[in-house]
Amino acid sequence: MNPIRFLPWLTLTLVLLFVGRIASEAMRSHDQPGKMPYDALGRLLVSDGGRTKPLDTFARSSLLKLNGRQTYEVDGKKRPAIEWLMEVWGDPEAAESRQVFRIDHPDVLAVIGVSQQDRTRFSWKEISPHFPEIVKQAELAFAVTRKKQDPFQRHITDLYNKLSEYATIRDFRKPYVVAPFAPGEEWAPLINQEGTALAEGESAKAIRSIIVALAAKPGESQRLDDLTKAVADYESAIAAKLPSDDRAAGLEVIFNRSAPFSQTSALYVLAFILGCAGLLIRPLSPDRWSIGFTKSASMVLIVSFAIHTVGLIARIYLQGRPPVTNLYSSAVFIGWACIPIALLGEWLTRSGLLQLIASLIGFATLIVAHNLGQSGDTMEMMQAVLDTNFWLATHVVVVTIGYSATFLAGFLACLYALGGVLTPLLKGEPMKALPRMIYGVICFASITSFVGTVLGGIWADQSWGRFWGWDPKENGAAMIVVWNLLILHARWGGMIKDRGVAALAIVGNIVTAWSWFGTNMLGVGLHSYGFMDSAVFWIVAFALSQLAVMGVALVPTDKWKSLTLSEPRP
Amino acid sequence: MNPAKSFLKAISSLRLTVILFALSMVLILAGTLAQTNSGIWTVVDQYFRSIYVAIPFQLFIPRKVATIPGVFPFPGGLTLGVLLFVNLLAAHLVRFKLTWKRSGIILSHAGVLLLLVGEFVTGAFAKEGNMSIVEGGTANYVEDIRTSELAIIDPSGSSDDLVVVIPQSFLEDSGVISNSLLPFDIAVVRWMGNSGLLGPMQQKPPGLPTATAGRGLQISAAPLPAANGVDGNTIDVPSAYVTLTKAGKSLGTHLVSVHPQVGTQEVTVDGKVYLIELRFERHYKPYSIKLIDFRHDKFVGTEMARNFSSHVQLTDPTRRVDREVYISMNQPLRYAGETFYQSSFMQGDKGTILQVVRNPGWLIPYISCSLVTLGLLVHFGIRLTASIRRKLA
Repeated sequence: MNPIRFLPWLTLTLVLLFVGRIASEAMRSHDQPGKMPYDALGRLLVSDGGRTKPLDTFARSSLLKLNGRQTYEVDGKKRPAIEWLMEVWGDPEAAESRQVFRIDHPDVLAVIGVSQQDRTRFSWKEISPHFPEIVKQAELAFAVTRKKQDPFQRHITDLYNKLSEYATIRDFRKPYVVAPFAPGEEWAPLINQEGTALAEGESAKAIRSIIVALAAKPGESQRLDDLTKAVADYESAIAAKLPSDDRAAGLEVIFNRSAPFSQTSALYVLAFILGCAGLLIRPLSPDRWSIGFTKSASMVLIVSFAIHTVGLIARIYLQGRPPVTNLYSSAVFIGWACIPIALLGEWLTRSGLLQLIASLIGFATLIVAHNLGQSGDTMEMMQAVLDTNFWLATHVVVVTIGYSATFLAGFLACLYALGGVLTPLLKGEPMKALPRMIYGVICFASITSFVGTVLGGIWADQSWGRFWGWDPKENGAAMIVVWNLLILHARWGGMIKDRGVAALAIVGNIVTAWSWFGTNMLGVGLHSYGFMDSAVFWIVAFALSQLAVMGVALVPTDKWKSLTLSEPRP
Repeated sequence: MNPAKSFLKAISSLRLTVILFALSMVLILAGTLAQTNSGIWTVVDQYFRSIYVAIPFQLFIPRKVATIPGVFPFPGGLTLGVLLFVNLLAAHLVRFKLTWKRSGIILSHAGVLLLLVGEFVTGAFAKEGNMSIVEGGTANYVEDIRTSELAIIDPSGSSDDLVVVIPQSFLEDSGVISNSLLPFDIAVVRWMGNSGLLGPMQQKPPGLPTATAGRGLQISAAPLPAANGVDGNTIDVPSAYVTLTKAGKSLGTHLVSVHPQVGTQEVTVDGKVYLIELRFERHYKPYSIKLIDFRHDKFVGTEMARNFSSHVQLTDPTRRVDREVYISMNQPLRYAGETFYQSSFMQGDKGTILQVVRNPGWLIPYISCSLVTLGLLVHFGIRLTASIRRKLA
C-alpha cells in the first residue's frame, strides 16, 4: 500500500482541524472574572449608518477608518478594536496617546511637524497642537470638489474627517447606543449634536451605568464587577426587547472574529500550492504522487469553498439582502461564483487545471475585496433606488456571475498561453481539454452576462423608465456581452481556433476589469456607487499584464513547449 | 458567382458580424469615455443614435499624460445597428434551416433583431419629461428639461391666461423676434445654453450684456459649458438677455432664466401688465396630478435616503378617472401610455419631481430578451446535455 493514498485525507483532516479551531475560538467567550468583559461589551447592540450592529463591528469599522486596520498597537502588541473603543469612552485621556491616526502623505506629515517618515501612525496628543493649521488647510481643500483635489488636499481632508470622526465617537454622539425599548421610539445617541444629554428611558439609564462603570477609577475589582453586571443586565434587556436584532448581533460577532474570508483566502493559497505541486511532479514522478497532490488540492478547495459559502450566507442573513450589494461584496461573490463552474469543469475533465485557476481566482478576488473593504462597514445601507431585494437578487447576482465566468475563461486562457508556450507541463490531454473548457465557459459567460444585463435594463425601465440609458456601467456590461459574442462568432466562422479564442479571452479580462472598476472610476452615471481613486494604478497594471500574456498566446504554435510536432496544432 | 449572390454572401457573412462586433466595442468604449466631457444625452445623440461620429483621439489618453489634437471618423450607433440587423437577417435568409438543433439560435437571433428594433423605436419615439408638483399643488403639464421656451403671458383674462411661447430654437439664433401675437418685439442679446447665476457682489466675466430692467438688475447670469454629469449637475440651466421694444421704444434689457431665482417678471406695456418667463418646455396633458403627500424617509442617524414616495390624486375627466395612487422608487405608475417614476424631490422636501416617460416601444425589450434568453438556454442546453451524456457514457 502506498502512503501517498492517505495524503488527501491527511490534508483534509488538518484543514478541518484548523477550521474547527478558528470557529470554536470565535464562538467562545474570552471574558474572565477580574478582567474587562470585552466580549460582552462587543456583543452589545448599537445602531450606526442606519444599521443595527454589535458594538464590536462598530469598533472595528471605526478603527479601520482611522488606522487602516481593525487592530491597534499597545507597546508593540496588537490589540482588538473593542479595547480601543472602551478606552476612548472609559479613559479618554489615555486613549489620546494611542497612535491610531494613520497619516502617510509627506506633506500632511509636514503639517503636523513631522519631517522624517519613520512611522505612519500618530496619536491625538501628537496631532492636537497642529489643529489650527489642519483646520485651515482642510477648509482650503474642502472648497475644491473631491474629484479635482490634489493628493495633498485629499489627504488633509481625510485627516480632518478622521479627527472629527474620533471626536464624534469620544463625545458619545456616535454610534446610536440608546436602544428603542418603548414603542414608537427610534435609536438615539447618548449625547445629541448640541451636546445635551438625550433620552431618559430604561436603555439610556442602562447605557449610562455602563459608561460610569467604565470610567470609574478607584477600587479596580469593584469597578469590574459593576461593569460586568451592568453589561449583562443591559444585554438581557436587549435580548428581551429586540430579540431578532440581538441574535443577529451575536452571529455578527462570531462572523467578525472568525473572519471567514481571510481564512478562506489562506486556504485558497494552500489549494493552489498543492495543485501546482501535483502538476509539477506529474512529468517527474509516478502518476499516483501527482494524483495525491491534485486530490489534496481538491479537498482543500472544497473546504475553502464551503467556508466561503458559509461566509456569504452569514452576510445575506445579517444584511437581509442578496449577496451583492456593493463593490466589496461583488468581489467576494465573483470569486465564489467561479469555484463551482471550475469544479464542474474539473469533474468533466479531471485535468487538475481548473481547480488551480479556481483557487487563484478565489484568492485574488478576496484580496481585491479586502482592499475594497477598507472604507469601513461593508454591510452599509443602500441608496433608495437600490433598495429592492428582487432586482439585487436577479440582475446583480446574474450579471456578477457573468463577470465571474468571463474572468474564469480569461484566466484559463492565461494558463493555456503561459503554460503552453513557456512550459512543457500541459503536453497531451491538457492542451486539448483547456480550449474546450475555455470555449464552454465563454458560452456560459455569454448567457449569464446577457441575461444579467437585460435584467438590469428591465430594472432600469421599472425604476426610471429607461430600458437602456447608455450609462457607463451599462455600457461596460454590454461590452462584456459583445466581446463574448465576438469570440463565439469568430470561432463559429472559423476565423480563429483554440489559440485565437485564448488570446481574445485574455482580452476579455481587460474588458471585465474595465466594466467592474473602470466605469466606476469615471464617476459618471447612475451606477457610480463605488468611486475609487487609488485603484486606477492597479487596473492599468492589470490591463498591461493581460496584454503581455496575450502577446505570449500569439507566439507561433511551433514555439509552444507543450506542443510537440507529433501532436496536432491548435 | 453572380454579383448579387456574392453581395448577399458578403453581407450575410460571419466575418462581417465579427467586424461589426469589434467596431461596436470601440464605439461603446468611446461613448463611455466621452461622458466625462459631455452630457449623457449629447453623447447618446452623437455616438449611439448617429450615422457617423468624429471621435477625438484625446478620449483615450488622459490629458495629464499627453495632449493630442484631432479626431477620427467612425460609424455611429445607427449605422452599426442597421448593419448588424441586415447582416443577421441576411444570414438567416441565406442559411435558413429549421432544425431542432438550430432552434435555439433562431430564437435568440429573432430576439436580437427585436432588441435592435426596440432601441431604434426608443431613439425615434420615446419622450421623457419631468413633472414637478409642490405638496398640495396640482400639475397638468410635463416639462422637457432638455429644452426651454420663453413664455409671454397676458394674465388679464378672467378665467384663462393668454400665453405665447417662443421655442428655444428661435432664441438660439440671436435676432429680433416679432409677431402679431406678441405685445412687443424681442431681441435676443445673448443666449446661454447653460448658465450660472451671480449675485450683485460677484464679479461678472467681461463681455456680458447688462440688464436694464427686471430681476437682472440684482442678479446676472454667466455662461457655463454644457452639463456633463460628472460634477453632479446633469441639467443645463439656460438663460438669456433679451431686449424688449414696443414701436421702436425700448422697454429695457431683461435677464430671463429657467433658474427659479429669476422666475416670472412683470413687463408693463402701455399700462398693461404682461408676464415673461424662460421655462422648461411644457407639454400640457388632459389629466392632472395633485400631490397629496410627499415622503422622504432616511435611515436612522444618517442623511441617506431610505425611500421617496408620492401620494397623488390622478384626475382625468376625458377618461373618467379620479383616484389616489402611490408612486415610489421602483414602483412607477403606468397610465395612458405614459409611465410616472419617482425621480427626485424639491429642496426641503417641499414637493416631488416625477419623471414622465412615453415610450411606445417599452414592451419590445421585454419580449426580445425573453426570446434571446430562451434561445440561448435551448441552444447551450442541448450542447451541454450532449457533452455530459458523452462524459457519463
